[in-house]
Amino acid sequence: MNQDNLSRINSYLSFKLGDEEFAAHVGKVLNILEMTKITEVPKAPVYMKGVINLRGTVLPVIDTRIKFGMTPTEYTTNTCIIVLDIDVDGETIQVGALVDAVQAVLEIEKGKIMPPPSIGSKYKSEFIEGVANIDEKFIMILDMDAVFSTEDVTDLLNKTEETQSTTEIEEVS
Amino acid sequence: MDNFKKKFVEEAVDLIDGLEKTLLELEENPEDEAIVQKVFRVMHTLKGNSGMFGFEMIDSFTHEMETVYDMIRNHKLSVSREILDLTLASVDHLKILLDEDNYNDPDVQANHKMLLSKVAQIIQADSETSVASSPLPTANNNLNGDSDKGSSYYILFEPNGNIFSNGTNPLYLLDELHTLGEAKVYAHLNRVPPLKDIDESLCYTYWEAILYTESSVNDINDVFIFVEDESNIEIQKIMDGNVLANEQFVSELDNLSSIQKDIGFNSVQRIAVNISKSSTTQQNVQVKGKDRVVAKDATISSIRVAADKLDMLMNLVSELVTTQARLSLFAEESAVPGLVPIAENVQKLSRQLRDIAFSIVLIPIENMLTRFQRLVRDLSSELGKDVVFATEGAETELDKTIIESLADPLMHILRNSLDHGIEDAAQREKAGKPKQGKITLKAFYSGANVMIQISDDGAGIDPETITQKAIAKGIISADRKLSKREVLELVFLPGFSTATKVTDVSGRGVGMDVVKRKIADIRGEVEIDSEKGVGTTITIKLPLTLSIIDGLLVKVEDTHFIIPLSVVDKIYAVEHEKIAKTFNNVVVLDGKQVPFFYVRREFGHTENTEKFEQVIVVNFEEKSVGLVVDTVIGEYQAVLKPLGKHYKNQDMISGATILGDGTVALVMDTNKIIKLFANHKDFAMEGEE
Repeated sequence: MNQDNLSRINSYLSFKLGDEEFAAHVGKVLNILEMTKITEVPKAPVYMKGVINLRGTVLPVIDTRIKFGMTPTEYTTNTCIIVLDIDVDGETIQVGALVDAVQAVLEIEKGKIMPPPSIGSKYKSEFIEGVANIDEKFIMILDMDAVFSTEDVTDLLNKTEETQSTTEIEEVS
Repeated sequence: MDNFKKKFVEEAVDLIDGLEKTLLELEENPEDEAIVQKVFRVMHTLKGNSGMFGFEMIDSFTHEMETVYDMIRNHKLSVSREILDLTLASVDHLKILLDEDNYNDPDVQANHKMLLSKVAQIIQADSETSVASSPLPTANNNLNGDSDKGSSYYILFEPNGNIFSNGTNPLYLLDELHTLGEAKVYAHLNRVPPLKDIDESLCYTYWEAILYTESSVNDINDVFIFVEDESNIEIQKIMDGNVLANEQFVSELDNLSSIQKDIGFNSVQRIAVNISKSSTTQQNVQVKGKDRVVAKDATISSIRVAADKLDMLMNLVSELVTTQARLSLFAEESAVPGLVPIAENVQKLSRQLRDIAFSIVLIPIENMLTRFQRLVRDLSSELGKDVVFATEGAETELDKTIIESLADPLMHILRNSLDHGIEDAAQREKAGKPKQGKITLKAFYSGANVMIQISDDGAGIDPETITQKAIAKGIISADRKLSKREVLELVFLPGFSTATKVTDVSGRGVGMDVVKRKIADIRGEVEIDSEKGVGTTITIKLPLTLSIIDGLLVKVEDTHFIIPLSVVDKIYAVEHEKIAKTFNNVVVLDGKQVPFFYVRREFGHTENTEKFEQVIVVNFEEKSVGLVVDTVIGEYQAVLKPLGKHYKNQDMISGATILGDGTVALVMDTNKIIKLFANHKDFAMEGEE
C-alpha cells in the first residue's frame, strides 16, 4: 500500500552533476545531508567514497560522479549527500549519493515524462526512467535502483566522450 | 489458541531435546534410576501437554512410551540397547509429529504404526516374562509377612503461592491422593493473613496428609508431577501396614494438629512407633528412612526469554555505549564542574551493563553437543565403526548467534572425522591402536577467544596425497615446495575433497571450504593439524561475541581505526627515521626483531612527517607483527556495525563503529590485514614497480 501511495506522488528531486541535471523520485529519497566528514575505507573501489554516521547506522557513500564515469566530485559548499533507499535483490539498503548540488523538488505529471530516446541518446536507456522537459531544460529521471545496485562503475554515457580512464583516477587525499 | 500451541511446540522441542540427551546419558548408565525417572517424567509431561493441545498422535505415542519407562522404573523391564534405539527413533518421530502438517503424510503414518507396534512388542514381551517370574517379592514384604501389602506415608504438600496462576487446583491433587488409598488430610490455614491483607490470587494453605496405599512412592510422586518444581513436597514412609487403621494413632494425630501448627514427619513417626510398640509385635514395625523422597522446592533459577527481546536488549546496550562515549567526550570538552565524574560513572555503569547483557546471550556450547553425540552414535553404527565421542569444556559459553551458525560446520567436521578419519576396527588393530576410535571435542577460552578443538585418533591426513591431488587438480605447480602447514591448508580450498570415493556421509562436494567460509562469517578461523597414522585436529578460533569489542583507537592520516584489544600486545614509539630507513621492514623492539607494516603506505597515503611513529605490536598466528600508525588515542568500546553490502568485498575491515564525536571509525581485522599486506609485499617484490 505504501508503495502504491508513493508511486502516485509525482514529485521528483532534481540535482546536478556538473552541468547536467538529473532527478530521482522522492519515494527513493530519505534525506538530504550537508557534506560531512566521510571516513574513507581503504582499498575499496574508487567510487566508494567511504562511510558516514547516519543517526547511529553506518551509511556507505558513493561518489555519483565517478560512478557515472565523470571526474571525482570536488567538494564545494553546494555538495550534498542524498540518502537513498535502493532495492538490491529484493532487499532494501540505504546508500548516500554524493552530488554537486541539490536543485529543487519538481512536480512532474506522469504524462509529461517522455520515454528515453532509444536512438541517438547520450545516455544508456536502462538507467533512465524517462526524460522531462522543464522550462526548456531536459532533466533525466534516473532509475536509482538500477544505477546503485550494480557493482561496477556504471558508465551512464552511451558513447563516452570522456575517456574511460577518468574512472581509474586514483584520488589522493 | 494458536499462540498456546506455539508455546506448546516450543516447550515440547525443548523437552524432546532434553530427552534425547537424557537417553544418551541413560545409555552410559543404564542402572541409574534417576535418569529413568527423568525420561519417564518427560514422557509424562509431553503426554499431558500434547493431549491438552490436541496433538493426539503425540499423546497416544508418548502414552505407550511412558508405559515402557514405567515398567523400567518398576524393575519389570531393564534398559536394553533395543529399547534405547527404539526410544531414540521415537524421539525423532516425535519431532516430526510436532508439525501438524506432517500428520497426513503416509510415510509418517507408516512410521508411527511401525514404532507403535514395536513398543507394543516390548510391552508384550515383558508382561510374558513377568508373569513367568511372578512379581518379585521384596525383602521387606518377606519380613512383614504378607497380610498387608500397603504402606503408610506421610505427605507434606506446600504449594507455591502462585499455584493458581497456572490453573492448578490443589484440592484436585488431594482428591487424587484419596484415589490411591485411604488418606487423612490436615489443612493448615495458619499462614492465611488477616482478611484485609489477603491477595485472593495466592494460595496460603498447605496440607499434611497420612496416606495408606498399595502404590509405590513413585505413584504418589506422580500425583504432584506437574507442581513439584514449584512446590515443597515431602513424601516419607511411616511404616508398612495401615497406620490409619489404628484409632489411637488417628486421635493422637488429631490432638496434635489442633495444638500445633504443623504435625511434621517426626511427630507422626514418633506416634506411629509408640503405637506399634505398644500394640503389635515389634518386628512388624519397619520405620524406614530409605524411601524418603524429598522434592525440595526448586527456586526458579532461570527464565525463558524470546530471542528477539534479547536482540533488542543488545541493540539498546550498544546504543547506550555509543551515547556514553559522546557524553564522555562532551564532559571532557565542556568546563562544567562535576560533569566529568558523572560521565565517568555512566561509563562504569554502561560497561557493567554491557557485560551483563553479554553474559545473557552467552550460552554454553553444551546445548549443541547432544546433537553431535547423537550424530556420532548413529553414524558410527551405520559405518560399522566403534567410536566414542568425548567432550571437554562443555560449559564454555559463546554468543547464541555464534552457536547457531557453528552447528553446521561442526557437524561437517565430525562427519569427516567419522567417515575418513577413524579407521575400521580391523585396520585399527593392525595399526596397534585400541579398537574403539575416539573423537574429542574440546572447548576452552583463550584470551578474548573461544577455541574449539575437534580431534580424532584416526588415520590422519597424508600430506603426500594432498600434494599429489593438488598438483593433479592444477591448484599448485609440481615444483612448488610447501611446508606441511601450507599443504594441510590446501584442504580448505574450494573443490578439494580427498575422499577417493564419495560416500553418503561426506564428500558430497560440500567440502572444508564451506566450513571455513561459514566460520569466517562469524569472524572465526579454522586451522588443521594432522599426523599421518596418529590423527587429525581441527581448531576453530571464535570471538566471544559479535557486537561489541574492546578496541584500541588509533589514527592513520585522518581516518580513525579500531584495533581489537585482544590482539594488541604492546605499543612502542619509534623514530620515524628508523621506520623509513629499513629495507626489510623489520624493526628491533626490546631486543627482538619484529616485522612491521607501514599502514600509511599500505593504504596509499603519503609518508608521515612526524618525528615519532607508533608501532602497535599485534599477535598474528603466534608471531608478533608491528603495525605502524600515526597516533594512538586510547582504549575504546566499539559497537560493531556492518559496513553494508557495498563493502562486502572489503576483507580488511570487519566493521565500523561510531565515535563520540559522531564520526565513523573502522575496525581492523588485523589477521586479514597482515595476510593481505604480506601478499602484497611478495607481489611488489616480484613486480618491482
